[in-house]
Amino acid sequence: MRVVLEEELDTLQATLHEEGELVLRALRGCLNALDQRDPELADEVIAFDDEVDRQYLSIQAGIESLLARQTPVAVDLRLVLAILHNNLHLERMADYCVTIAKLTKLVYGVAPDQRLMRAFEEMGSRAEEMIRVALDSFERRDVSGAEGLVALDELIDRANRRIVQHLLALGNNLTLREWGLRMIIVSRCLERIGDHAVDIGEQTAYLVTGEFREFTDASHRAS
Amino acid sequence: MSETESAPVKIVDVSLDRLLQPERSARSSVARETVFQVKGVSVLYAGNRALDAVTLDIYRNEVTAFIGPSGCGKSTFIRCFNHMNALIPSARIEGTILFNGEDLYGPGVDAVEVRKLIGMVFQKPNPFPKSIFDNVAFGPRVLGMKDGLNERVERALSQAALWEEVKDRLKSSALSLSGGQQQRLCIARCLAVEPEVILMDEPASALDPIATSRIEELMHQLKKDYTIVVVTHNMQQAARVADMTAFFSVNQGAEGQRTGVLVEYDTTHTIFTQPSDKRTEDYVTGRFG
Repeated sequence: MRVVLEEELDTLQATLHEEGELVLRALRGCLNALDQRDPELADEVIAFDDEVDRQYLSIQAGIESLLARQTPVAVDLRLVLAILHNNLHLERMADYCVTIAKLTKLVYGVAPDQRLMRAFEEMGSRAEEMIRVALDSFERRDVSGAEGLVALDELIDRANRRIVQHLLALGNNLTLREWGLRMIIVSRCLERIGDHAVDIGEQTAYLVTGEFREFTDASHRAS
Repeated sequence: MSETESAPVKIVDVSLDRLLQPERSARSSVARETVFQVKGVSVLYAGNRALDAVTLDIYRNEVTAFIGPSGCGKSTFIRCFNHMNALIPSARIEGTILFNGEDLYGPGVDAVEVRKLIGMVFQKPNPFPKSIFDNVAFGPRVLGMKDGLNERVERALSQAALWEEVKDRLKSSALSLSGGQQQRLCIARCLAVEPEVILMDEPASALDPIATSRIEELMHQLKKDYTIVVVTHNMQQAARVADMTAFFSVNQGAEGQRTGVLVEYDTTHTIFTQPSDKRTEDYVTGRFG
């Protein structure tokens, strides 16, 4: 038994789990700020990114030390590499939350289109669900659970496309059009969070099977 | 990473509020206590300088590793800590080593007393041709620590992670044990006289990988109660077990004489991720030595 290696791997996994929880809260925070047009809450989400970054850096440092000192091999090595990827995916997700919060601050004076706001709430809830599924299946080494993320991602992608259609229908009101431009980016951010969740799922499959494969290939769509 | 564009304000959402958890405690936040202060120590054998002017501190309840190529003086250096060089008539030590603030080579210091406080484990397991029990009881008996001898032997064997394997055959010859068990017996023998420091000179180099791994785990356990200094030619072993690592190298003199020097001493993490000396980098990356 290599106790030190085991302990360090456990710590890395626990810290990644905490980071995931932080991202979920940042996401809920920015969705609420958007929905309630609350610039103070948006500021909170922006400041809160430091917490995620702290976890990110702590995992990064832990991995550096573990690789330098413990020479992990086989499943231990794959676990470390998967954590390295997932750490970055989670940190990117938190950055998208910051972007949403910043966009919220730019448009909080505009009365929003309620249909769109409902669509964002739906997308946001799906993104939350995807983060949970991604983290749970990683922790349980559940490849079929991870593969289920592809179907969830398709739903987010569809909602993203619907939102673009809604926005095109907003008409000629200049203020609303500016608002709409911002909201396209919000939609895109939520859609990207879903993509990162799928990427975490791919790391789960790599960890379990030892083989990396993309669940879907954006550049070579099956016809 | 995104930049925050404003100073943190009052948390308005309880879902965020609960998030601000206390930071994970930094690994070495506890104040360190120095056990050995080494100042300008050189070792000369028959006038030849084998080790030149080493200065470093060794800290309590940590594992400190000495690494470096053959002839760099690492074994010579570790032998200074418990007067082992005094056994070589031509050896002379310059400089000072303070042990808990007292001069280790001061007048009136008794080598036997020093070796009781600063025990040593060698490369090749060297049990006495006696029973397992008598091996561990040897030191306490010689030093007159005869009260509760059975308990003392059991405690030492337990600390050395050997008790479960030998408790039913304490009267058997120590030579009947495997190499890895014999090495743990030697560690138990060292622990039986309750030292403060355990010196280990290549403690696992004569053992197979499984036995090596057990010795390394044992070092990890033992540092809770002892200070450990280990010489190893196995860099990965230093990386795995040590908190602090000292890298020694060899300077070749004009007439071919070789002198060991301390090149770099830092946390093991630093030595193996960003050493500051090119010679250390070349050694740990396998480009030299």
